[in-house]
Amino acid sequence: MSETRSQVLIVEDEAQIRHFVRLALEADGCVVQEAGRLADGLLIAGAGAIDLVVLDLGLPDGDGIDFIRAYRGWSDGPVLILSARTEERHKIDALDAGADDYLTKPFGVGELRARVRALMRRRQRAGGEVSPLLEFGDIVVDLAKRQVWRKGEAVHLTPIEYRLLAMMVSHPGQVLTQRRLLAEIWGASYIESSHYLRVYVGHLRQKLEDDPAQPRHFLTETGVGYRFQTGT
Amino acid sequence: MFARSAFADRMSSRQKMVLSVLACVFAAIVASPLRGVLDPANIVMLFLLTVLVVAVSLGRNPAVLAAVLSVLLFDVFFVPPHFSLAVSNLQYLVTFAVMLATALITGHLTATLKEQAADAERREQRTHALYEIASRLAGALNDGQVDEIVSQFVRSEFGGRCRLLLGEVATEVSADNAWYAGELARWVLESGQRQISREEGQVVYLPLKAPMRVRGVLVVQPGEEAALLEGDLALLDALASLVAIAVERLHYVEVAQHSEVEMATERLRSSILSALSHDLRTPLTVLVGLADSIFLIRPSLPEPALENARALRDQATRLAGLVANLLEMARLTAGSVTLRQEWQPLEEVVGSSLKLVGDALGRHRLRVELPRDLPLLRFDAVLIERVLCNLVENAAKYSPADGEIRISAALAGAFVDLAVSDEGAGFPVPESGQLFEMFVRGHSESATPGTGLGLAICRAIVDAHGGRMRVESPPSGGGRIVVSLPRGVPPVVEAEVA
Repeated sequence: MSETRSQVLIVEDEAQIRHFVRLALEADGCVVQEAGRLADGLLIAGAGAIDLVVLDLGLPDGDGIDFIRAYRGWSDGPVLILSARTEERHKIDALDAGADDYLTKPFGVGELRARVRALMRRRQRAGGEVSPLLEFGDIVVDLAKRQVWRKGEAVHLTPIEYRLLAMMVSHPGQVLTQRRLLAEIWGASYIESSHYLRVYVGHLRQKLEDDPAQPRHFLTETGVGYRFQTGT
Repeated sequence: MFARSAFADRMSSRQKMVLSVLACVFAAIVASPLRGVLDPANIVMLFLLTVLVVAVSLGRNPAVLAAVLSVLLFDVFFVPPHFSLAVSNLQYLVTFAVMLATALITGHLTATLKEQAADAERREQRTHALYEIASRLAGALNDGQVDEIVSQFVRSEFGGRCRLLLGEVATEVSADNAWYAGELARWVLESGQRQISREEGQVVYLPLKAPMRVRGVLVVQPGEEAALLEGDLALLDALASLVAIAVERLHYVEVAQHSEVEMATERLRSSILSALSHDLRTPLTVLVGLADSIFLIRPSLPEPALENARALRDQATRLAGLVANLLEMARLTAGSVTLRQEWQPLEEVVGSSLKLVGDALGRHRLRVELPRDLPLLRFDAVLIERVLCNLVENAAKYSPADGEIRISAALAGAFVDLAVSDEGAGFPVPESGQLFEMFVRGHSESATPGTGLGLAICRAIVDAHGGRMRVESPPSGGGRIVVSLPRGVPPVVEAEVA
């Protein structure tokens, strides 16, 4: 990955899960620290120099969401949630509290590494120069000129479609909850009108995806929100 | 009826009349020795006193009798000529008239006063009795106790019997309709109006009107000779409303207890499920993760070891899917699922399901045919995603490895039909309906692994959405499962002002 090795903190009460997550991340050259309890996790995170946190939501001494709230008090470093499938509500709360992405248990090592890499890339980009020109698949987005091209041809987007696109592409690999998208693009009074968001994401897919029913870039996180992904 | 304190009340009216006559005769006997001593006017006073006493102790009719008798006796024994009705001095006629009038008026007034006093006493007793029964009903713990308290009250106050009919009057009536008419009771329950039948003795049907609704009927038959007065009906009405309130209170106590038990059960069920879910998922996560991390070991392990690791991982993943299905089914059948229904395009959930199925599709070709103009549908995306995943996985499992799986949708009246078709062997037609039962598999001897839970889960989810599922075997071959979801009235998405 990068020259200075990334520091990752795993907060998870199950020792075996910590073990294989450590194996997977060390294989990617990360330095891994472990904590089995929320309090220990906060201590390590508070000591500084953590680049990414992998966090289980159900901890013996507290709720993972409390960890996120506390952590967001001093750091905006990426947080990856590990959670069970049936807890959509819980995931949404964690994401709204400031988590960046989640993995549903059980998950494969490949998936874990891909998510961690994506989050790390975003962190590195946030540090360096940001180019207004974005490319994914056969799409080019010029955030400065507010223009979009597909296969070299200009694509016409309505203002709302453009705002939605701009917001999604500026958070690559990150899950954006319905709530957040609705609040930022339509305003707080539209938070319950999720069908607006659904219809406009549909429009974007119609205009920018090869197969709108099987999107490659504008992905649905069912029951939670959406994720933009640059490529497969 | 009400127990009256006066001894006179226990006498019949004839006895009272006789007593009245005796009183007048006694007055005449007492007065006769005084004839020479007292002025006739004072003798009249003695008779008037007698009438007053009769009125106070015996009531109105004996008093009238005493008044008339007194005048006669006075005339016969004290007005000359004695022992004859004839009157020598015509002035006595005035005396007679005044005497009669005074006696009648005094007697009437006294009797009225006495009746009023008796009335007041009865009212007081009634209030007391009602107060008593109200406090006893307030302490009743079940309908049986209410019945008992009311029966006791009717026995002591009316000397009769009663029957408390609660809720479904009709069912109780057939068992015991000795002295009241079930039809009439039903009518009273429906109309909420009091009825009195006089066919075999007097029977009163009182509706138990509680604040929420008529809770039942109280049938009262007073004792043999006691005829019901207006005041008694008022008492019965008051009784009926007290009973109604008691019965309603008991009803709501029962409802509250029931829902409390229900809630406790519900909490227990969902906490067991989530604990189970956590405890099953954790080892599965470890299994999948550790099997996966074998590939990370450097230097790389020999190929047979990696092959085993791959198999391990695949089996663990399958096991995870199975556990997910089992838990989902448990949640659905436990009724602890609340749908998070939102209006959304079908296209989106098809897309996310296909992404989720991913590897299970293997070499199958996939064709998605969704019309562009499908309306928004209202459903729980997570659950419908599970339906689609199960259907597509099923199709992949039971059809040739390079076959085509087709997902299509079409409007069908008030529904939207979403179909998943494959090129497999189709479904055994006679048992198609059973396919949606738990643990039923189309071909039970099949070598393809499966539990028969998938379709049952789909059906439970679709049912919860008010939709339907059916199996089709198109003439062109293969199998097709159609999910019909209700269209409803989608919200309007205003066009953007560009």
